Amino acid sequence: MAALPARVGIGSSPRKRDGAALLTGRALFLDDHRPEGLLHAVVVRSEVAHGRIRAIDTAAAAAAPGVALVLTGAEAAKHAGPVPYFIDPAARGGNRTDIRCLQVDKVVHVGQPVAAVVAASRHEAQAAADLVRITYDVLPHVLDARAAMAQDAPRLYEDWPGNVVAHNRYGSGDPDAALAAADVVVEGELRIARTTTAPIEPRGYLASWQGDRLTVHASCQNPHQLRWMLSVSLGVDESRIRIVTAKVGGSFGLKMQGHPEETLVALLSLLADAPVKWVEDRRETLMAGAREQVHRFRVGATSDGRITGLVNEIVADIGALTAQAGWAMPNMSATTQPSGYAVQDVRVELDIVCTNKPPCNAARGFGKDAAHFVMERAVDLVARELGMDPAEVRRRNFVREFPYRTATGLNIDSGDFDGLLDKTLDAVDYAGIRRGQAESRERGRYLGVGLGFELTPESSDSPGTFVSGFDTTTVRMSVTGMVTVLTGVTSPGGGNDTGIAQIVATELGVPIEWVELVQGDTDRCPNGFGNFSGRSMVVGGGSATLAARDVRAKLLAVAARLFETSEVDIRDGIASGGGRELPVPEVARALLTRAFAIGDIEPVLESTRAYKPGNINHVPDELGRIQPYPTYSSSLHAAVVEVDAETGKVTLADYVMTHDCGTMINPALVEGQARGAVTMGLGSALSEQLVFAADGSLASNRFKSYLLPRAGDIPLLRMIHQVTPSPFAMHGNKGAGEAGVGGAQAAVANAVEDALAPFGVTVRGVPLSPPNVLALIDEARP
Amino acid sequence: MRYTRPADVDGVTAALADGDAVVVGGGTMVVPEMTHGRVRPSAVVDLAKAGLAGIARDGDGWVIGAMTTYTELARSNVPLLATAARGITGGPQIRNRGTVGGSASYANPSSDVPAVLVALGARMRLARRGGAREVPAAEFFAGAFRTAREPDEVLTAITVPDTAAAPGYVKFKLVEGSWPIVTAAALAGPTIRVVLGGAAAAPVVVELERASWRARLRSEVDRLLTEPWDDVLAPGHYRARIAPVIAARAVAGALEEA
Ligand SMILES: Cc1cc2nc3c(=O)[nH]c(=O)nc-3n(C[C@H](O)[C@H](O)[C@H](O)COP(=O)(O)OP(=O)(O)OC[C@H]3O[C@@H](n4cnc5c(N)ncnc54)[C@H](O)[C@@H]3O)c2cc1C
Repeated sequence: MAALPARVGIGSSPRKRDGAALLTGRALFLDDHRPEGLLHAVVVRSEVAHGRIRAIDTAAAAAAPGVALVLTGAEAAKHAGPVPYFIDPAARGGNRTDIRCLQVDKVVHVGQPVAAVVAASRHEAQAAADLVRITYDVLPHVLDARAAMAQDAPRLYEDWPGNVVAHNRYGSGDPDAALAAADVVVEGELRIARTTTAPIEPRGYLASWQGDRLTVHASCQNPHQLRWMLSVSLGVDESRIRIVTAKVGGSFGLKMQGHPEETLVALLSLLADAPVKWVEDRRETLMAGAREQVHRFRVGATSDGRITGLVNEIVADIGALTAQAGWAMPNMSATTQPSGYAVQDVRVELDIVCTNKPPCNAARGFGKDAAHFVMERAVDLVARELGMDPAEVRRRNFVREFPYRTATGLNIDSGDFDGLLDKTLDAVDYAGIRRGQAESRERGRYLGVGLGFELTPESSDSPGTFVSGFDTTTVRMSVTGMVTVLTGVTSPGGGNDTGIAQIVATELGVPIEWVELVQGDTDRCPNGFGNFSGRSMVVGGGSATLAARDVRAKLLAVAARLFETSEVDIRDGIASGGGRELPVPEVARALLTRAFAIGDIEPVLESTRAYKPGNINHVPDELGRIQPYPTYSSSLHAAVVEVDAETGKVTLADYVMTHDCGTMINPALVEGQARGAVTMGLGSALSEQLVFAADGSLASNRFKSYLLPRAGDIPLLRMIHQVTPSPFAMHGNKGAGEAGVGGAQAAVANAVEDALAPFGVTVRGVPLSPPNVLALIDEARP
Repeated sequence: MRYTRPADVDGVTAALADGDAVVVGGGTMVVPEMTHGRVRPSAVVDLAKAGLAGIARDGDGWVIGAMTTYTELARSNVPLLATAARGITGGPQIRNRGTVGGSASYANPSSDVPAVLVALGARMRLARRGGAREVPAAEFFAGAFRTAREPDEVLTAITVPDTAAAPGYVKFKLVEGSWPIVTAAALAGPTIRVVLGGAAAAPVVVELERASWRARLRSEVDRLLTEPWDDVLAPGHYRARIAPVIAARAVAGALEEA
């Protein structure tokens, strides 16, 4: 007797397809690829924060054992052009500079690639790299964004008018008038320290040429964009480049393309005439910034807690400019304000500023996290000023009618923010905590609870760029009935392959075991855009649905012909109709081996479809605003903390996230992503910080100095779901995976301020590490 | 690079005689340092087979071999040291490999073992070719990453006298993964001794009277902790600020006062 089919439909949680391979160490990552004749590269990086390259002496390195090639920037520039931008700042009215795979004249941060060594082993390459002597004319450097904005600050890019990449202004209405008319106006500051994403697998690339054809195995998120990028920088036609990205050990935005090493490794392989691999070491991975911003805001409210106006000035420190997407994140920090609150009089001024630090790369949250963080601080400060409960102030300001056009022009598809708040308050026992708080304070214990609301725009589309709001999938059934799904979206570990297989199996009516997924291979998969912006299940899932429906329609047509009835169905791999049954493989075989007998049904069991969700609108409105996101997930977070007022240490006692990403294709995967994002936010809120020495070198360059949270630091993260389907996405699902960073930061910051209310502490930044918290207490003490 | 793995102490001291060798105990610190090229020795002397592991009773005290691991210490009932060993991070990998002698010889200010040994009044047994000597722990820890050990010496064992005093140990870290920021090892007998680790380059000894310890602790710590340890994890003024707090918690723990 056949076993009962496992529950695999939309909304169930079959196991992650590659879970067993990952857990047993059988999954192959980039570094596991070791082709015959492989050589290894090491990048020689700048040791000064700002300087002109005077001379590079490579003689000793070239003569070292095992060395095949030493490449400098000047030599590289003869063979490769600049790396094209993922999002070109010039196209957005900003300043740009040519990004090279190796610097030619000048370095602008410690760690910038200056030369590269290729040798028979990584060890030999490293030893030789240590022998490369670089002489610089050292220039003054600037590590702080405010300082970098001064007229006389050192200039990173001499042809720019300053160090500002772009100054932008967003919003609508008349916030100055709104603030002038408000019953109360509160001011605040929020400093978000620089953190990093730290995936377990660092970046890496393996390039090899077969004649004039290039194959690159890459630990990356967006193989098709990488192919285009290499084709531009190397001047090789796309048709001669193949990118393969198999397993990726976490990415979080870091592995979106635009890194100098992508072009560099392909070039090294060309010049060395051998396969060349480069894998980052941990110190290199830790250089990648994820976020660093300062917000100064004023918010006006009526005496009953309705927020009437908001003015926020953001200074975003992106370090050196990069061709990667990361520099553009602060734009989303601005446009995601005022989040899901009904405030129409808003002005957000944004300066995106370069400093002599490594670039900020794309990072989960993509700047939206900062918008949530600052709004949630503003709401809490209003509550405090008015003596109201912070939960109540949120309730007075939530958007309730959808779709809702925000002050920055976003069009929120759907949501139930009151529902999120009710569920969260209930789960965390908000009333009980408030009651217990007074009593525990009498005993010298400082307990606090904080809320953080998030509205997460997802699946973005940026016209004229490779930030695409659609994607493409092929569903193909073979003569044996087995199904191959080739899709343009990739999975850096989050598991959308499992979700897509669930959708295809459900749509076709076949067991999930029959469905094979192919992702991340530009020679096999249709044109696509990979993974970013919570898009993979929306557009990968959507396009897979359309393609699967085509194939199913074909199967039904064949079955109808075979059963001689129009009443046919397919379920669990069996076609039925007119009282007869036939396994789906036999239906497939009938069409593909007896095409002429079957008649006028085109014998193709394959469909390639693209899916464009609704709600995206690139026609600027009267204020010049566009609407680049189809779906808006939302979540409400509550953190309960205890603060040791003698040491400043914050301990998380409880954490609840109520999450609404519309229909959940696979709840277990949604929760896995949400827990990861929350943990990232908690780390940034409490312990993570990239610290630079005065000379611009990274002081926190290992996991003993860059403090990621560990299991013992994080309580059980309790997840509650609310489902408000999106009217604009195929299955009503919204992006999931980014939501949690800003909500977690905000909930913790608000909870710490709440816990320390007896001292009158005002939180003005993160991380709230013990030294920083103790300083806050000291500062508040009379 | 010469690599030797001597079978006894004589072999070790012979291999160290030139003074240019690096000793490998459990290797949890020194092997990564060699891998990253921060230490480039001409010779490596591996203590794995030198018979230096194990805890033994000797008269009215313990003799703890330099190669005794945290796991073994955690199972023992050596006061303070067993408690500290149970709180070592890095999981079983580190606790099964990291040794008490390695930690003492490394003399990282941000570590557990040095202050504990000073609090216990331990003595460090050092051997060199043709000789041996004992140094009190309080003198052994000369500064940050500096000890009284000469390059041709090996730490063979640590002796710890019995004590009737009540132990208390508190370690303060920023998060699970951080090095200790301040540790306090207290022994409360007729008088109270509390030794601070992590607070300065070397352990800081604070002696107090039972009757007046609470009143005197802060001013004594302030008086003795003139140059607090400062690093990327925590500034010196923060360590100085919390040192009396952590010391008081360790003493209160020893006295079982809440
Ligand atoms: C992940 C991780 C977590 C850790 N957590 C903690 C913690 O919570 N608390 C803490 O205090 N420490 C911690 N440590 C550090 C740990 O204490 C040391 O790693 C360990 O005790 C050192 O012992 P070892 O035998 O491995 O030393 P090794 O690495 O072998 O040697 C360290 C130094 O001592 C020298 N040496 C070793 N043995 C001798 C000897 N017998 N005679 C002379 N010289 C010698 C070596 O030459 C070297 O200079 C951690 C380390 C890691 C990697």
